[in-house]
Order: sequence, then structure tokens, then C-alpha cells
Amino acid sequence: MTQHAILDPATHRDLRVRTDPSSELGDAVMACLAVPSEFRRLSCDYPIVYRNDPDSGSFTALVLFGFEAGENLYLTDGRWDASVKPLAHAIQPFLIGRSKDSDAPAQVHIDLAHPRVLSGADGVRLFDDKGAPSPYLEQMIEMLGALDEGYREGRAFFEALERYDLLEPFSMDVTLTGGEVNRLVGYHLVNEEKMQLLEPGALAELHAAGHLLPIYMAMASLGHLGKLVDRKNKQAHG
Amino acid sequence: MERHVDHIVVVGGGTAGWLAAALIAARAQGEAGPTLQVTVIEAPDVPTIGVGEGTWPTMRSTLAAIGIDEADFLRECDGAFKQGSRFDGWVSGEAGDSYLHPFTPPPAVAPAALVKLWSESGQPFADLMTAQTKICAAGLAPRQREMPPYNGALNYAYHLDAAKFAGMLSRHATQKLGVRHISDLVVEVEGGENDHIAAVHTRANGRIAGDLFIDCSGHAALLIGDHLKVPWIDRSDVVFNDRALAVQLPVDEASAIASQTVSTAHEGGWIWDIGLPRRRGIGCVYSSQFTEDARAEAILRDYLALAAGDAAQDLPLRQLRFAPGHRTEFWRGNCIALGMASGFIEPLEASAIVMIELGLGALLEDFPADAAAIAPRAARFNALFRYRWERIIEFLKLHYVLSRRSEPYWQAHQHRVNWPERLEDLLTLWRHRPPSVSDFPQSQEIFSAESHQYVLYGMGFAPPQDGQLPIGGLSAARQQLAQIAQKTRHFASALPDNRHYLSALQPTPPSQPAALQVTQ
Repeated sequence: MTQHAILDPATHRDLRVRTDPSSELGDAVMACLAVPSEFRRLSCDYPIVYRNDPDSGSFTALVLFGFEAGENLYLTDGRWDASVKPLAHAIQPFLIGRSKDSDAPAQVHIDLAHPRVLSGADGVRLFDDKGAPSPYLEQMIEMLGALDEGYREGRAFFEALERYDLLEPFSMDVTLTGGEVNRLVGYHLVNEEKMQLLEPGALAELHAAGHLLPIYMAMASLGHLGKLVDRKNKQAHG
Repeated sequence: MERHVDHIVVVGGGTAGWLAAALIAARAQGEAGPTLQVTVIEAPDVPTIGVGEGTWPTMRSTLAAIGIDEADFLRECDGAFKQGSRFDGWVSGEAGDSYLHPFTPPPAVAPAALVKLWSESGQPFADLMTAQTKICAAGLAPRQREMPPYNGALNYAYHLDAAKFAGMLSRHATQKLGVRHISDLVVEVEGGENDHIAAVHTRANGRIAGDLFIDCSGHAALLIGDHLKVPWIDRSDVVFNDRALAVQLPVDEASAIASQTVSTAHEGGWIWDIGLPRRRGIGCVYSSQFTEDARAEAILRDYLALAAGDAAQDLPLRQLRFAPGHRTEFWRGNCIALGMASGFIEPLEASAIVMIELGLGALLEDFPADAAAIAPRAARFNALFRYRWERIIEFLKLHYVLSRRSEPYWQAHQHRVNWPERLEDLLTLWRHRPPSVSDFPQSQEIFSAESHQYVLYGMGFAPPQDGQLPIGGLSAARQQLAQIAQKTRHFASALPDNRHYLSALQPTPPSQPAALQVTQ
């Protein structure tokens, strides 16, 4: 259940947001949306994969935190064991609100039903006594802007991947040391051979549009799949 | 006569006695159990004095060393956070006369550069040097619940209920650390050669022998005073206050809890005000040379009326008389005095409990393994603590000599005849440069150069004029101050309210109302 509202200093002056990592606060998720502009940052910590959205038929990118629904292997003992978080996760409980007139500036929305939102005195304030945004809210607004921009710019990136037919379905069996098998299905990866076979003109086009860097960053990030299995083994067997 | 030090006898309970017992016993937990025995002989039914209700930040590491959980401590001792001391009315006594001595020091850059930037800023010194001033003013806690215990965003200490604190230490020491508790009266001290104490005799438990005796018997000073006859040096010529009237003001469960001790000057002394979750501890400190008891009571009643209206008019007051001063020695033979048995002074900068911690620190740092090794340590210990008492007295005096108040009591503080010589020299020096580490060269100075800066510039002492040499480090200092301004905004939005933090430590009723009411 969500309860979205346009963030407003008058109504939400006394709201506070808990910022500590916790599964009770919505961190128990196995994946999160990632935009191409943050691939470089995210590739240091997470595997980045692609997924076809059956509703729109278009591709998006995700970082994986685990292998099954509700599993976040980066979350241990109240700590998020990575140096960065994907924007789409870090901005919770905030959202980007946009009116039907898509040229109008985006607004900051908040999900009042999100478990991070409190009216007590724990957590970080959104506004100071004068109603000015707190440094935390300023940072959130900046991240929302970056996410919004990254998302809109990302469309061209995913269109290019499709145009050159670079994506292929990917599935992975994860065999734990205990013998249990988890299977990752429904994701796509960039096919490296197809990349190799690209014409110089196509490469130049991808390069000029700034798409080459995120393509290779996402490829390099796949090394974290193995580490994710290690995390899973560690969690399963202490 | 080679003999291990394996029985330590603490004479007296209270904060000093139980801190000593708990800290020594905690240090003596070897892999195969305790390596020595600690016994506390506490006279039954002697109430603790309960003036030392403010600690220093050192208490955090002390409690951690004893093995006490921070949340348990706050809950059981009615504890609250103390982030410094605020001094109201000390400079002129006029409205708005107030400054803070916060626990968080200024940034670690050239003090001369900081003082220069402050003098150009037109802001109070402490406001510029640390986020703590604004956090205190807003009544916020120095830490978030998610932070590891005993860690904070800002440096902090505690306010506590001294009787409950002694009780908690006693329970922990006896139940967890194997300390033996004998509730009995010491009736005789059995001495040996060279000021050696062999045993104490108690009324019901007979003779109790020990290798090392710690005198925590307070004013009575049964070992260091009564038995060993170590002289007391009266310091009332420098610090005049020798009386206090104390009262406990119950507070509403929803009321704000102050983040700092508030010390409000009056015509002949000052009033302490320490906020705990269930009460405020308030006391009027004065000098019998200048103020009659009845006048002191009237001053305190006026303060209470302002604080709590008619409700406070019938609260019982308790008088405390003391001779400000200290022993000539704190360690003689195999006896060490801690707490009021070793010295006592007005609680202006909460030096009482920290001096106990420092005494124990010095003892444990160089703990004598053999009985023959006890006495040779005395000279060094005594020199260190004589030095510390001098620094405390100078620092307290600094609060008085910088005042411009006109009452006779305050005017008397202006007479240079009773200024410590070193203080007078330092004040001359500080006209030309800020207090620096070179003025306080010991490794564990009781009051740092930074503390002196806070009091000096808080009280309006003129910043030094530019000298012949240009001031270095200005750009680094500017950067640090900009960061502090940024931090201040950040902390103000992230730190919880004191009352809320402390209330949440109490056991919660099973069903809580929803954290957020959303109206459709």
C-alpha cells in the first residue's frame, strides 16, 4: 500500500525519515532499477543485468542484490555492505512526480505509507524550523534529479541495444555449497561476440552517443555474480 | 617481604567507592577469572552526597571498560546527555549574557587563525567553532540510536542520579565482577611501619586485611585524614564558595531535557541546574563570607519560582558545607584517597567524578604487582594530582576573574592578591595569543587549551591584536569553519530530541499507536 503526496514544507514540516538499512524498512528486495548514467558507480559493487518489461516491451537495467524475491544479500546485521546504492533505491521514500504536462518541472513526492517515514523524533528531518529543506532533503532532491535525468537519457541507450540486437537472454544456475540450486531466469545480457562484430560505423555511433562506456561497465560488473553466490553461501552456512 | 597485591580494600561506597571497585575489578578479569580480590566496606545507611551529578566525556570509556551497556546505564541511573556547560549571567548579569563551554573542541587547526576569523565574524565563539552550540540550544541528543554504543555525532558526557549510579555500579560490581560488599562501619585502622595500613577493623565483620587501601570515605577521610593525618590545604582564599543548598525539582514527563548543565550566576555565587528525565537537580552555591544562608535560600527560591512557579515553593532544601581544598598528598604508604576524601571544590566544571576516573586511570596504568612496589609510586602520583588540582583551581578562578559583575563577591574576585600567579601570567600571555597546547603540556591535562578558549572568548576576552608575524593557516581554518557550518545544518536535521531519545529507552507498552496518521 502506498500513499503518495506532493512534498510540502507546511504539511510535512515535522516528518522524519529513517535512513538506517533494515529489512523492515523496505530493504529486503532482490533487485533494483538502475539507469545507464550510474553504471560506472554501481559496477564496483553489484552485477548489472537487463530485463525486458513485458508490459511496455522495452528494456531496462537492474542491479541484483539476491537470487530470490525478498533476498538482499548486501544487507547483514543492520549494515548495507556496499559503498554505493542505486539511485532508485537510495531515494526511497521519495518519488518523482510529474504532471500530465510533461514539460512542467518534476515535483518531489513522498510515499507517506513507506516504513521509513515517521512523525516521531527518530530519523532525519526533512525541513528545518523555518521550513527550508534539510541537507538530507537537499541531497535527496539532487538524487531524484539525477535519477530523472538518467532515466530519460536511458531510453536512447536501451533503444540502441535493441537496434543493434546486442542483448540475449541469460539464465544462471546457482549451486550452493550445500547442493541447493537457485536459478536466475528472465534476464538479458549484452552478447560479447555481437559487440565484437559491430561495424566501425556502429561503434562510432555508440561511442558518440556515450553508450559504449555503460555497455562495458555492465559487462565488467558481472564479476559480482560470483561474489553474490559467495554471499549466499556465507549466509546459508555462516 | 615479597608479596603480591591481591586484595584491594575500598573504604566507602558512593560514586567514588563503587567506581573504584568496579573499574579495578573489571581490569582484573583474567582469562582464568579475577586476578585479585576487591572488597568494598560501605557504612550502612549513609546517604550519598549527590552533588556530583555531571560527568565528563571520559565516563563513556569508563563505563565501557566496566562492561556496562549504555542504554542500561541511561535507564537505570535516570541518565541524560550532557554536551557542555552554559554560563548565564557570568559576564555582566544583564539579559542575554550567556555562553557555552561545549565538549566538542574547535577544529584542530592553528588557534590563532580560528580566533582571528572569529573576531571578524561577529558571532559567539562557540557558535562558530562547533555544531554543538546549536544542537544544545535545540535540546537535541548528541547521538542517534543507530550509532554504536558510546559513540556520538558530537562529544558528550552524562547527567545522572548519583544515588542510582552508585546503586547500579554496586550491583554490577558485586554480581558480575566478583566484588565483595561488606555493609559495616570501620571502627579502627590498624597501622604498621612507614604509614603502611595492615587492616581495618569493622564493627560486625572484624578485621579486614588488605594490600592496598582506597579511601573513598568522603568528608570523614577515615584513612588518609583520620589515620594517616595527611594535611588538607584550604583553597578558599582563591575559590570562595564553601556552601551549597540543593533541591530536586520533579519535572513533567513530556518536558524538554536540557542538553547542558546550566550555571546561572547570582549576586554571591551561582546556581547549578542539571536536567534529568524525572527531575532537575538544582543547587545554589555561595560563600559564607559573603552570603547569609537565608539570603542564599531566597536566591534559590526565586530561581525555582521562575523555573516552576508556585509548585516549587515547598520543596525541601538540603544544605552542604564544605571546605574548598585538597590534601597535600593523595597517596601515602599503601593508601590512595579518591573523591571527597582527597579534595573537594564547588562543582562548577564537574571536576569531582573525572578526578576519580583520572586517579583510577593513573593507578591502573602503572599497577603495582608487588606490595613492595606500592609506596615508590606515591611520589609521582602525588605530583601529578597536585598539578591537576592547581589546574582545576586556576580554571575555576578564570570564570570569576573575567566577570565584570559589580557585587562585592564578584569584586573580591577581581583582587589580584588572590589570583594564582600562573593564571595571572597566562592572562597576560593570552592578550597576545590564544591559549595553546604549550600552556598545558601534560599528556592528560584536566582542562585543555580549547576549554580555556571557550571560557575566555565566551566571556568576551579581547582577541589578540595582529602581531609582527602574519597569522598562518587562515585558509585551512576558513575551510574547517565552513565545514562546521555545514555539519551544523546536517546534525540539526538528523539528531533526535533529548526527551524523545530517553523516553524511547524505557520499556514500551505492547501496543503502540501508528507512527503516522494519514488522513485521506
